[in-house]
Amino acid sequence: MQKFINDAIEFLPILLQGVKLTVLVTIGSLVLSTLLGLVWALMRVSGIKILDVSARVVVNFIRGIPIIVQLFYIYFVMPDFGVTLSALQASIIGLGIAYSAYQAENFRAGIEAIEPGQIEAAQSIGMGWWMVMRRVVLPQAVRIVLPPYGNVMIMMLKDSSQASTITVAELALQGKLIASSTFKNTSVFTLVAILYLCMSLPLMYLVSRLERRAAQGRK
Amino acid sequence: MIELQDIHKSFGTNHVIRGFSAQIGKGEIVTIIGPSGSGKSTVLRCINGLEKHDSGTILVEGVPVDRTKRSIVDIRTKVSMVFQRFNLFPHRTALENVIEGPIFVKRENVDAARKRGRDLLARVGLQDKETAYPGQLSGGQQQRVAIARALAMQPSAILFDEPTSALDPELVGEVLGVMKSLAGEGMTMVIVTHEIAFAREVANRALFIDQGVIVEEGPAREMLAQPKQARTQDFLRRVLHPM
Repeated sequence: MQKFINDAIEFLPILLQGVKLTVLVTIGSLVLSTLLGLVWALMRVSGIKILDVSARVVVNFIRGIPIIVQLFYIYFVMPDFGVTLSALQASIIGLGIAYSAYQAENFRAGIEAIEPGQIEAAQSIGMGWWMVMRRVVLPQAVRIVLPPYGNVMIMMLKDSSQASTITVAELALQGKLIASSTFKNTSVFTLVAILYLCMSLPLMYLVSRLERRAAQGRK
Repeated sequence: MIELQDIHKSFGTNHVIRGFSAQIGKGEIVTIIGPSGSGKSTVLRCINGLEKHDSGTILVEGVPVDRTKRSIVDIRTKVSMVFQRFNLFPHRTALENVIEGPIFVKRENVDAARKRGRDLLARVGLQDKETAYPGQLSGGQQQRVAIARALAMQPSAILFDEPTSALDPELVGEVLGVMKSLAGEGMTMVIVTHEIAFAREVANRALFIDQGVIVEEGPAREMLAQPKQARTQDFLRRVLHPM
């Protein structure tokens, strides 16, 4: 135990560097996936055939390719087309695009759960499509969408470790680097696991609170 | 003010409205009665473009109703609607429901809209429910907020789509009371309802429709008391004496 504490004191500062990048990748890709997911979802419910079909194609395309391959493609293949990104940029964009597909399905389900009468009432006071979405549908859909959204956040936090495959020295990769140079596998990977838990457990608590609030229904 | 000429509408193979024509003048109160599935609500929903009619022309103050055109916004602010199931916005308070249209569609000054919104809530007898959410109100109260929301658009006419059908019987009176006072103020109203006694008292004209066509029309008081057509007689007998 004393040995573990000594290792912890020695390695934590380096691992925290990794935590910083993990948080950065997670938040960056979360924001991007939310915005893109919202775009796909709104295209799906727009009632305009061409937008609906193209969003469907894009989402299935993204869902059909493993995240790791998407990351490789953005980081290693895009430079051939003249688009060179840093590893950090590539990981945020890659994970953001990959997860936008799941966000889109979640958002669409939330939007379609709103009663048609709500939309008719909004139209009957003269609201156009966009205002109906912004003022009536989306504020109500948020309540439905929040719990699954929290789960996606947790998955993204853990999946940010995939950024290590394109050399982003986030928590998992920092751990691996320390472990392979010191051979203290047990201490290092235990610390890495604890640090992930320190981030994911509060998120899980938040999700369960959101779920309880959603279950209570409307005010 | 509202003109319908030879309206047809089908849902799939179901031909719901088969040549409906009517004229509704300014200040007139017209009630549409008929068995369920006869196309009453559909007629109403075509007037403000919530439903698209297949053929025929609908004019609101001379402007054709076409939901693909920009003019539909103007028509909808002129012709408000009150729904069977209220359809209040559950995430907004009573007052916010009422002033949503004036502020976000008509871009009115927020303070002026609030003041007018409060006046309208007082007019439907809910001055103390301003900050209540729809979920905290009874059905009758919700429907009165919905009427205030319709009035807030300062419409030339209001369409009522079975406004009391979703209410518990003891709450029907308070909603009919508000509608009656509106009628007294000269509001143009088109009312789809099963409240025959109310229709007879308040409406100027009654239309009885069955299977998508007008079977009989006339002054509400006489027609609803002594209908001439057998189908109208049969329908009224069943509504008034269900046993």
